[in-house]
Order: sequence, then structure tokens, then C-alpha cells
Amino acid sequence: MNRKLIISILLVLAIIIVALVVIDVLNSRPDKRPDNPYEYSVDQFKSVDSTLIKYTETLDFTFGDLDLRGIAFANDRLYLVEDNFLVIFSTEGKKLAKSPLPESPTCVAASSNGIYIGFANHIAQYNLDGLQIKSWESPGDSTLITSLAVQDCYVFAADAGKRRVLKYMTNGELTGSFTGKRDSADLHGFIIPSPYFDLAVNTFGELWVVNPGQHAFENYTFNGELRGFWEKTAMTIDGFSGCCNPAHMAVLSDGSFVTAEKGMVRIKVHKASGELLSVVAPPEAFEGETHAPDLAVSPAGDIYALDFERKMIRVFQLKK
Amino acid sequence: MDRKKFINNSGRLVLLGGLAYLTGSIIYQRKVSASGKYVWQIDPFKCTQCGRCATECVRDLSAVKCVHAYSLCGYCDLCGGYFKPNTHKLNTGAESQLCPTGALNRKFVEEPFFQYTIDEKLCNGCAKCVKGCGSFGNGSLHLQIRHDLCQNCNECSISRMCPSNAISRVPIETAYLIKGDFKKPAVSTPK
Amino acid sequence: MKWLKIILFLLPLTLAFHNLDAQQRFPKPEFHTHYTQPTPTTPEPRGVGMEFFDVLVLLVVLSLTSWFAIRKRSRNGILLLTVFSAIYFGFYRNGCICTVGSIQNVALALADPKYVISLYALLFFLLPLIFSLFFGRVFCGAACPLGAIQDLLIFNPITIPAWLRKTLGFIPYLYLGLAVLYAATGTEFIICRYDPFIGIYRMNGPHLMIYLGIAFLLMGLFIARPYCRFFCPYGAILNVFSRFSRRHLSVFPTKCIQCKLCTTSCPFEAIDFPDEEKSKPDTKTNSRKFILYLALIPVLMLAGAWIGSKSHVFLSKAHPDVYLAELLISHPELKTDSKNIDIQTFLASGKSLETLVAEAQVIRDKFKTGSWILGAFLGLVIGLMAMNQVIFRRREDYQANKGNCYSCARCLDYCPVE
Repeated sequence: MNRKLIISILLVLAIIIVALVVIDVLNSRPDKRPDNPYEYSVDQFKSVDSTLIKYTETLDFTFGDLDLRGIAFANDRLYLVEDNFLVIFSTEGKKLAKSPLPESPTCVAASSNGIYIGFANHIAQYNLDGLQIKSWESPGDSTLITSLAVQDCYVFAADAGKRRVLKYMTNGELTGSFTGKRDSADLHGFIIPSPYFDLAVNTFGELWVVNPGQHAFENYTFNGELRGFWEKTAMTIDGFSGCCNPAHMAVLSDGSFVTAEKGMVRIKVHKASGELLSVVAPPEAFEGETHAPDLAVSPAGDIYALDFERKMIRVFQLKK
Repeated sequence: MDRKKFINNSGRLVLLGGLAYLTGSIIYQRKVSASGKYVWQIDPFKCTQCGRCATECVRDLSAVKCVHAYSLCGYCDLCGGYFKPNTHKLNTGAESQLCPTGALNRKFVEEPFFQYTIDEKLCNGCAKCVKGCGSFGNGSLHLQIRHDLCQNCNECSISRMCPSNAISRVPIETAYLIKGDFKKPAVSTPK
Repeated sequence: MKWLKIILFLLPLTLAFHNLDAQQRFPKPEFHTHYTQPTPTTPEPRGVGMEFFDVLVLLVVLSLTSWFAIRKRSRNGILLLTVFSAIYFGFYRNGCICTVGSIQNVALALADPKYVISLYALLFFLLPLIFSLFFGRVFCGAACPLGAIQDLLIFNPITIPAWLRKTLGFIPYLYLGLAVLYAATGTEFIICRYDPFIGIYRMNGPHLMIYLGIAFLLMGLFIARPYCRFFCPYGAILNVFSRFSRRHLSVFPTKCIQCKLCTTSCPFEAIDFPDEEKSKPDTKTNSRKFILYLALIPVLMLAGAWIGSKSHVFLSKAHPDVYLAELLISHPELKTDSKNIDIQTFLASGKSLETLVAEAQVIRDKFKTGSWILGAFLGLVIGLMAMNQVIFRRREDYQANKGNCYSCARCLDYCPVE
């Protein structure tokens, strides 16, 4: 073969080799790398009509690097449980008392008579100064208490482990439980794929239980009979999405629900009948796809959200 | 002629000595493992689902696959890893599936539970379902390197591009890190 | 006090376990039908025993090649072994771990206190070197899968002028130095990244690898073994080692009859000609040159070290952490670029920019040390290459150059001497 031809072929090949390597080096630098072609994006659902946002964030209290677990509001005080302390705050964020807990708490509820703290498989009763009065007997090892609600002489506990609601007297006596099954032929009642199971009693004395697997709010009598429910599955702002939402909720004095979702984190207010009333905090107010904040509300309608990522209590008030 | 031989012999001795020194210092510092083999592994707790496992593996279809830690799964009807966000019909139609290759299979177990399994022949390790499951579900779906497919390259080309340094070399005994049954291994000292 | 320390150390561990338990203890759904939960499968990787079998195969191939090249004088034997290596180490074993790449594992093991090299990788590195000290580059001859594929595809090799050959011969040392620097600083394994033939052996791989492989193979049709001669960093080490080999393939079995047949047989131009009487250089000028070059070596090394230490900032940019730190300082606006995976991952990790910069500084300091050593090494290589030009070795016969000869045994078939 012609030597000149060979040499020109070789030169071209040499240039190709150098070019391939140079292009590869330049394209693998962190500012030149390609975007993720398989991105999972919920961004289109993150933008919220600003006229719906009726609340504004007025105050934050931070605590440093703590393992926060739950929050409750009563007697003009905030009750916060963390691993392993009970801390009592004033509404301005002033720390009033701190008492140690024997083990890791999961949730807290309070009334004018006392504080009730849920631990993994049992409940303990504390007085308003944070001293333990009585540790109640555990209803079983696979119990996982995720939420408590106090109404007069009753304490209701959401047991995510056994998918049931427990009814206690305030003295610690277990008087009943229900699983949300309408009759014995029902295969399932509460569907709880992950350990998020919330309940609350509103000012009218109605017991509402979240059925997170169904994105449903269910109203039960104190004896466990279903009185009514509403559900709304949607990733749009008026519904709930994912396998188990809302993860946390609280009831305002007019009976409407404040809800917190995980996955795409947002806090909203729904009417007792289910329609969306307003948005408290849109997804932009939270970091990424994270945990749902635990909620507490004051009788005046202020919303206290326990942000597990930023490790702070964030206070939201209605815009004036 | 003798001088040549002398240079040759002493040169060889010096180089042999050099090799011996190098090997000796590696052995002395306990930097060599006689019975060990090292394989690549993803730490699912570090993984940020950037999608590069699908694009950077030297294999056409990545050796990284989604694995399912069934013990963590909630068996949800509305699975964040299976369905596209805001899908309305909870059925197995292609238009409602999140997986770009249709590698995630949904099977009815009993009311209201569904089992999700991965077809490894189709899975390209893109982690889209991992992100969906992690955000909205229990995080039972996650990526892991499959060692029947991994070429065990001297340097994993995904690890070079991994933004969260989730891929590292581990001893062959601890090749798999599967969520759920994963127990943190005791701190091992290399021999 | 000691116990306190231990407790303090263990405390976070127990907490971590606790969290893990809490996550796992949440009971799975209660199934009413007979559903058994599957367990995730974990296909086993290839066992460590198989890796040692590879070492054994390598040892056998090296021994056989030495025997074929030196005792048996059989090109066919070596050809057979070449085909075997291409099939076994190449197509069957898919090329990893290979001897050429093992340089980086050794460098990393020496530099990184946490990295542990497996014994078989170390043996893959050592065995060919030891063989080269006794029998020449027999590894290149038949055992190296990268060499094998090129050797089998030599079609119409052209001669390359000596000046070009010698200039390009510097590249392997540069490549070696950079590979060791990048491996030792934990940046990356460039030899593996730009290994041209692995994609072809695997018949699967990123486009870059495949194109690079095809380009090298096409080049190899006209330049025999282009990668081995002008790129292979392991070949650079073998070249030096082989010069001191105890025995070596010899073109002629008994006595050279000066027929020159062998020179046309070698596609690598690795056969040295005997020197002609009249070309014998003036001893006086030559020794003066020798002393001059010898004196020049420290100067070259110093200059190399200076250039090296000046270029450490540039070289360190190959490390992703260093690059990211620089990028975030020089272009802070990129933090809002939601599509940039690397920057977003860094921001979400909770690590502060100060920590990243501090880590990048540590890496850059390593590069500082490494770069001047690299520069000095390259200065030494240039000096020795120059000095080699003026060393006069009397040669009366046609003989293989011990540094460049791959022991492929092509010339043996051409030699008419019985």
C-alpha cells in the first residue's frame, strides 16, 4: 500500500485517539456532566397558587442537634418530646422545664389534667410539671404507639404496630380497642404501610382517625363504630399522595383539619367535610423530600409544626 | 565482557531488591490480603438516586439493579415506586408505570396488599422507583450491584461519577448490603 | 478514663443500632392468605479461589513462553500461547484485573493507609517483572491480553524513523508517572479508564472504550503494537527490567552469519544492527558528551521538579472534590442550578463548603508532593534516554534489543543458522 496513504491514515487515527480522550476528560468534569435522564420529579405539583396560602411563618425556635419526636399544645404551653427528654415551652419559645424520660418517646398529648407520652409499646402519664405519675401496662410487644389524643376521661392511642386504636381511661385502664373493620368479614381496617398513624379528638368531642393507606379521615364513636369518612387521593394540592398520608394531623377549634404530608412535604387545612380550605406551608418551605412535620394547634388557631430536618418548631399564623 | 556481565548482574540485583522492598513494605504494613477479594458495593443509605448507575456502568445494561427489601415493604396499593406521580388509575397499564423499562411487576396478594418484584433482565438501575419509594413509601426499593453481572472492574466507572461516594470496595464476604436485614458489620481491621 | 472513652465511643453506635431496630421492628402487613414473603436474592461473585487459578494460569503461560522463546525457539508455540491469552485473559476473563492496571493498585496500596490490595493483584503485578529479570519481556510476548490482540492483528507494519520512535518512547513513562500520581492520590485509575481493548474483549462497553479500541487496532495494522510501544506504562517498567535480564531470547542459536534476514522479520524494529567499523565514534567526544549528559541529569531533574510543582494545581483538578470546591468558589451562582447533580448532592449532604475546601486542600497538598516527584522522575527519564544515545556498546552481530524486544520469536523462524 502507498506509504503516504498509510501515514495519513495513521495521523487521522492518532488525532481521533487524542480527541476521544480529550473530549472524555472535558465532559466528565462536574460542571459538564449530563443531567439525570431518569429524574423522578414531582416539581410540577410543588408550585402552589399563592392566593391559597393563608398562613405566614411568624416564629421559629431551634434546639440544636436533638432527636425530636413529637409535639403537643395545651394549657398555653408547648410540650415537646425528644430522645430522651420532655421539654415544656411557653408559646414564645421560652424553655420552662425539662425532665428526663426513661426511654425513647414516640409521641405526646396533653390536657389540663396531665401529660401523656407514648413510648414504643406503652404509655406513661406525667403531671404538668413533667414528673411521672404512672407508667401504664403495655398492651403487647408488637404495639407501636404513634399518636395520642385526650378527651375528658379518655385517652385514645393509635397503635400502628397492631393497626388499631386503643381506648384508655385517664387512670390507665384499657377499656377497649377497634381495628376499623366494619364487620368480621372485612379483611382490613386501618392500612398502615409505614409507622405513621394519627388520630385526634376535635372540640365537638368527635374522634377522627387517619387511615393513611386510604388517604382517608374516618370518624368513629368512642366505641369504634364508623360514623363517617372522607378520602381524597391526589398529588395535587387538594389531596394526599404516596403510600401513607397524611402522616400527621391536628384539629382546629372549628373542626377543620391541619394535615402534614411526607414525601412531598406540605401543610394544609381541610374542612371537616374534606374540601381544601387553605395552605399553611407549600413544599418550597421544606427541604427536599423529607419527613412530615408533627403538628400541634392552639385554640386561637396558631399552628406549630415540628420540622425534623431543620430541628425547629415553626409557628404559622393566619395572615392578617 | 566481564564489565558488561557485572553491570547486568548488579542491575538485576538492584531491581530484584527494589521489588523485594516494595513487596516487603506492603506486607509489613499489612496492606495485602491473602484470602481476600474485593468487590464493589452501593451503600443504599448514601445513594441519592442520581441516575448515573444506569448511564455509567461499562455494561450496556447496568450491573446495578433495583433490589426489593420485602421486609420493609408496606405492600401498598398506591406504590410511590410503581406509579407515576398523580396517576389516577391504579392499574398495571404502561401509561401509569413509573419504571422506564417496565421492570417492576405488580401482583395482587390480597386486599389491600400488592407485591412488587423486579425483573432484572429489564431493570437498568436508573433508581427512579427508588426515589419514588423513598419519598412516599418505606424505602424498601433500593439499588445494589449484582455480582453475577458486575465485571468487578479494577475501578468501577460508576463510582468515579457517583456524586455521593456511595460506591466502595468491600471484602467479598460482605458483598451485599440489602436494606432490612442489613446489620452494620462490626468494624473490621484489614489484615 | 479508658473505660469512659470506650463508652463514649460505643454510645453513638448503640444509638445507631437503636434507630435501625426501630425502623425494622415496624411489623409487616398481616396476610390472611398463604403468602410467603420472598427474600431478596444475592448472586455470589466469582470466588477468590478462581482468582488464584488465574495467577496459576499466568505463571504457566509465562514459563511456557520463556521455554518457547529461549530453549525451544518456537514461534508457533508462542503464537499458540498468544491466542490462548487473548481467549482466556481477554474474552473469557474479560480483562480485569490485568497486570498493566495492577500498577495502580500497588501505588494506591503504598500511598493510602486504608486501601488493602489482594494478594492475587499483587502477584499479577510482580510475576511478569520477576520473569523479565530472568528471561526478558516474555509477558509481552504471549501472556498480556492487550498485547495479544494487537500482535494477532499486525498486517502491514511500516518502519518508523528512529528519532520518532525514541521521542514517542517517552510517552509510556509520562503515562506511568501520571497513572501512579492519580492512583496514589486516590483520584482515579486512568490506565483502566482508557484501556483500549477491554471493551472489545467484553464485546460490550461505553462508546469511548469501543472507539478507542477500534482506533488502536486500525493503527495496529500499520504500526505493530502501537499501544505496547508508545503507551503501555507497564511496558515502560518492563523495558528497564528486561535490559538486566539474565537470559534472553537470542536471534541466532549458535553464531550470526550476518545475513540480515532477521531485521526484516521484526515488526517492532527491536533488532540492533552491528556497528560498522567506520561509524565507530570518536571516543574522546563521546566521553565528553557522556560526562556532559551525566551532569545534565540533576539539572533536568531539578527543572522537572520545578515544572512539576508548578503544575500541581492543574493536575489536581482531575480530582472531583478539588474541581467541585474550585467550581463552587469561582461560580457560586451554580448553587442554584437545580439540574447539576454533583452540586445539588453536595449541598444536600449538609457538608459545609469550608469542609469541602479543607478536604480539597489536603488532596492538593498530596498532589504538590506527587507532582514534583513526577517532574523529577520525568527529568531523570529524559536524562537517561539522552545518555543512552552516547553510550557506545560494541556489537558484532544482529541481536535483539533487550529493552524493546517482546520475545515474540518471529525472528527465530527467519534465522537460517541451525
